[in-house]
Amino acid sequence: MRKNKSVLLSTPYILWMLVFTLIPLGVVGYYALTDPETGGFTLSNIWELGKYLPVLGQSVLYSLASALICLILGYPVAYYIAHRGPIVQKILYMLVMLPMCMSFLLRTLAWVGLLQDTGIINSFLQAIGIGKLQLIRTPGAVILGMVYNYLPYMILPLYATLVKLDHRLIEAAEDLGCTPAKTFVKVILPLSVPGIFSGITMVFVPAVSTFYISQKLGGTDTVLIGDLIERLFKQGDNPNLGAALSLVLMALVFVCTGIMSRFGGEEEGGVIV
Amino acid sequence: MKKTNRILTILMFIFLYIPMVVLIVASFNTGKDITKFEGFTLHQYAELFRDEDLLRLLGNSVLIALLSTGISVAFGTVAAVGIHSLKPKMRKVVMSLTNIPMTNPDIVTGVSLSLLFVFVGSGLLGQRESLNFWTLLIAHVTFGLPYVILNVMPKLQQMDGSLTDAAMDLGCTPVQAFFKVILYEILPGIVSGGIMTFTMSLDDFVISYFVTGSDFVTLPVEIYTYTKKPIQNKVYAMFTLLFLLIFVLMVVMNLLQIRAGRKRETMRSVSRGRMIFRRVIAGAVAVCLLVGCCALIFSNKQEKITLNVKNWGMNMADGSDGTLDIVKAFEEKYPHIEVNMSYYESNEALYSQLNNGGITVDVIIPSDYMIDRMIQSNMLLELNFDNIENFRYVDEQFKNPAYDPENKYSVPYTWGTLGILYNTKYVDEADLTGWELLWNEKYAGKILMIDNSRDAFGIAQYLLGYSINTTDKTELDACAQKLAEQKPLVQQYVMDQIYTIMENEEAWIAPYYAGDCMLMMEENEDLAFYLPQEQGFNLFTDAMCIPTCCKEKEAAELFINFLTDPEISGANMDYICYASPISAAREHMEAYLAESEIVYPSEDVLEKGTAYAYLSEEITRYVEGLYQSATKLNTFG
Amino acid sequence: MSKELIRLQDLTMEFDGERILDSINLYINDHEFLTLLGPSGCGKTTTLRIIGGFLNPTSGTVIFDGQTINDVPPYKRQINTVFQRYALFPHLNVFDNIAFGLRVAKLPKEEVNERVNRMLEVVSLRGYGHRHINSLSGGQQQRVAIARALVNEPKVLLLDEPLGALDLRLRKDMQIELKRIQQAMGITFVYVTHDQEEALSMSDTVVVMDKGRIQQIGRPEDIYNEPKNAFVADFIGESNILDGVMLSDYKVRFFGRTFQCVDKGFAPNESVDVVIRPEDIDIVAPEEGHLVGVVTSVTFKGLNYDIIVEFKGFKWLIQTTDFHGEGSTIGIRLNPEDIHIMHKSEYSGMFGDYSSYSAEYDELTEDAEDEEE
Repeated sequence: MRKNKSVLLSTPYILWMLVFTLIPLGVVGYYALTDPETGGFTLSNIWELGKYLPVLGQSVLYSLASALICLILGYPVAYYIAHRGPIVQKILYMLVMLPMCMSFLLRTLAWVGLLQDTGIINSFLQAIGIGKLQLIRTPGAVILGMVYNYLPYMILPLYATLVKLDHRLIEAAEDLGCTPAKTFVKVILPLSVPGIFSGITMVFVPAVSTFYISQKLGGTDTVLIGDLIERLFKQGDNPNLGAALSLVLMALVFVCTGIMSRFGGEEEGGVIV
Repeated sequence: MKKTNRILTILMFIFLYIPMVVLIVASFNTGKDITKFEGFTLHQYAELFRDEDLLRLLGNSVLIALLSTGISVAFGTVAAVGIHSLKPKMRKVVMSLTNIPMTNPDIVTGVSLSLLFVFVGSGLLGQRESLNFWTLLIAHVTFGLPYVILNVMPKLQQMDGSLTDAAMDLGCTPVQAFFKVILYEILPGIVSGGIMTFTMSLDDFVISYFVTGSDFVTLPVEIYTYTKKPIQNKVYAMFTLLFLLIFVLMVVMNLLQIRAGRKRETMRSVSRGRMIFRRVIAGAVAVCLLVGCCALIFSNKQEKITLNVKNWGMNMADGSDGTLDIVKAFEEKYPHIEVNMSYYESNEALYSQLNNGGITVDVIIPSDYMIDRMIQSNMLLELNFDNIENFRYVDEQFKNPAYDPENKYSVPYTWGTLGILYNTKYVDEADLTGWELLWNEKYAGKILMIDNSRDAFGIAQYLLGYSINTTDKTELDACAQKLAEQKPLVQQYVMDQIYTIMENEEAWIAPYYAGDCMLMMEENEDLAFYLPQEQGFNLFTDAMCIPTCCKEKEAAELFINFLTDPEISGANMDYICYASPISAAREHMEAYLAESEIVYPSEDVLEKGTAYAYLSEEITRYVEGLYQSATKLNTFG
Repeated sequence: MSKELIRLQDLTMEFDGERILDSINLYINDHEFLTLLGPSGCGKTTTLRIIGGFLNPTSGTVIFDGQTINDVPPYKRQINTVFQRYALFPHLNVFDNIAFGLRVAKLPKEEVNERVNRMLEVVSLRGYGHRHINSLSGGQQQRVAIARALVNEPKVLLLDEPLGALDLRLRKDMQIELKRIQQAMGITFVYVTHDQEEALSMSDTVVVMDKGRIQQIGRPEDIYNEPKNAFVADFIGESNILDGVMLSDYKVRFFGRTFQCVDKGFAPNESVDVVIRPEDIDIVAPEEGHLVGVVTSVTFKGLNYDIIVEFKGFKWLIQTTDFHGEGSTIGIRLNPEDIHIMHKSEYSGMFGDYSSYSAEYDELTEDAEDEEE
């Protein structure tokens, strides 16, 4: 039958995804349960994880903070863009997208140049007589780096939700006696909830797992879970412990996105543009 | 409210674009430092186009992005059509499978893929080079596919299903129906999915970083290692050009869309249809051409032997500042060999990369204790000294060293000391009382600490008066305690990043290797080197070895032989500022180096130095664990 | 008369264990205008899609011109379809849409141009060739869809609720237009609709379907006048359906009275369904009537009044041009030819009772009509 044949088209894809997404996770699990030296089964990697909980907690804290800041900064911007004329909308949308296409590493590095003790901002502050401030290597700098890098991920889904919002609903609310503030709280905000949650997810996930931002902008106390995983694989020569940590990170992210998508309803936040 | 929104929007755009402006300005800067604009120049742009390596890396990135986009788009579109005709339940399952790489953090995807490739490739299939161009491509396709599917699926769902029926009704086979009708309906989804895949692939660094082999490196991965070293302004120049390119592309695309939108009612749909179709064909042709090019590159490569060398950063003369370009000189002498250089930061990182497997490396230059460790782990090949006749130039005292008693595996490359680099502007000479300088609270926040377990423990051991080769766990614990005490004073734990930080005086004190310190002192004359002789210091030898994952052993031996030539070695030392284990080379070095007390300390100083020895796998891991706890986690003490 | 073109034999269709078609047997003659009529989910669209080749029957055969075509894919069948909501290709203009099939068949350019232009004439869209599909009205799109199918000169044209998306006026015009085209081109039309009026006015043959089974096949007049069961009687027009007993040929008893009728061939004393069309009932003075009842509701319908009259607790719908006020008592007369007798069926007792009559009832069922899958 015709339908059956086109169903077959999805088979290579399903196989591909099984082999290259599901099975690798199984391999990660296998590594997490084996000893780095002997290769035998062990639970010691799992027992060791307790040591890493504070770092994990810190990562979650920072990335949640940055997601919330992104939301607060991003919402008015998305709202503003969504209410421009079509051409201005397109231009502004493009300007939000553009930084995402540029090297994430170099842009973060530029922040180092801006924030460091001998950096552009501090030189300027010194020149006008305020004196140097400790900007870089603080938790704030790490969160700033996250906000900067992932703000577009917040604005784009918010914009997508707000632009679809039926303007007649706002008129209806005003017609029914709502002040603009009330209209916002009672109509616009509840209707943009899916965008808010998908935005938070899209900021939170890359932020919680980053290992570059904290290395560049953070100090010795702002080590994040991603840094540790990278270190275990690339320098510490303990891929097994690294695998166990990766599993924890993955579980954390899946639980969070699960919660987010429950709040955000069925709307799938993965697609933008 | 509208006004505040506008102001916020403007502020947000300033926020988003300030770093870009910084980078663009830096590309016109005559000075090296991103923070100080010293003068306007276009020199960097000329440099950029002269830098074959950088262009090749960019080419690699574009190639992998185009290929993975082409494959993802074709494969993903076909798959989307298939998924679309699945039963709803099955469709849901497949879509959640699709969402895994979307929701999974990049680092987990990267880690899991690299483990898979190594596990299957090296473990099960016994393949040596299980991380290579193809695994990188597979990884990019894997994270690209979901973008295509998630963009195409909604278009398929929006499409009137009877359009396909109508096409078949009018005589199209299913395949014809796809190309004549469905394709047009889902084209916007394909295009936006393709664009997303392309940009993601072009800028991806996390996943690539984990799955890339040594033979094919993309620009972002290289930039990651660059940013640990002093970043060159031509990279900013490249950034600026890419920025302009993407900006122009985006503007053009938007203009086309706006025009198409305006004209939609009046425009002849025939020409529009043909236009789109032409674009699709052009894209497909471009992809095909690239596949061809790629095939060409690969077939070309087979004619030449590629020699993969893994070296420390800034550890071989590259022709800058009037020095000899060693690699170029070697390639001129042996035209059939092409050297592919990649870098590691520490002995531990090198060991980790080799031990993780999956890569081909022909020559490495680890330090003494690590060579011992590698010999014991059967990671090195015995050298054929018939091919390394220049070995005869090596000083007797460097032959048959403790780490390689029968001298079967290694040929010494450099030797040196580990001391403290400090900035005389800020550091009081009176404080140079020994290693405790690194614990001096006066300089809190301005101290850098070396970021590898062995050297960090070594410093603590000298300070506490233990043997640097102690295996006593209470002593090791005490060292870790010492390091944990130091943590609040430390600005950063660094390896190669030390260059920028010390040169622009972001930090004032850092323990590092003498040769590198010399290099930094050349850049900033306030920097000085201090060797705490009384407590003792590390005296190390770096030697060239051939790991078991070597593919071109003979070429590797040629390369080692070449580097052991006194004249070459001397020229090399001129750049890297280390001491050569070949006395004859010293004559070829510039006088200021050959006579430098830092490069060649006097005999009575050298007596105070000690060398690391390989302890045992158990102690090595124990130390690494302690080091992590003391410096990365707050779980120590 | 004309020769048989399509034959469906024991056609059965199941989706996920659910039976959509239940042994359909049907033949379609050349040049015939045949309509598949039935409510939503009755299997009419499924039948059409099987003929078109878009679905494969679970069992049974489709014979076209003497050959089994079960395994022939749609693109090889000499059949074309006008789809529900037209399915015009949005990326092509009017001309290219119509030329689509000819170009797939790789006909020479001149022939394509000539045939498309001729077709544009037939559907009265001359000069619209370069127009974009989205700039056309519903009726124009409809005609493009018809032209696109007809330009391939198929032996059979399948039309799946082609007028469903049009408003009432346009629908009436297009009905006439379609019939004209069918006669002009001389091709077989297989037409699917849920609109009984459309079916009756256009078709040579009407096939009434329900629950995956054919309920009745016949000329429009026969279907209307001689419904085979309560379902057909109710679906085609309005009917009052009553329980009765066939005493003997031409004699039926209901409401405690014996009436003359024109039906025969029933078993003595067989329980039957009695159908009386609302428009066939003559209203007379109470004393002259066979039955006497009280008017309980009156609805003005334009051409006539729909009145509900209660007879001994049973409510009838009567259509009359004279006004009878609510509460008034009237008598009715039933002529023998106004009484239709049907065998009892599974539908008995389900239709024809106006006890819960409301004027909106009709529209509600029509709106609920939807595409079958």
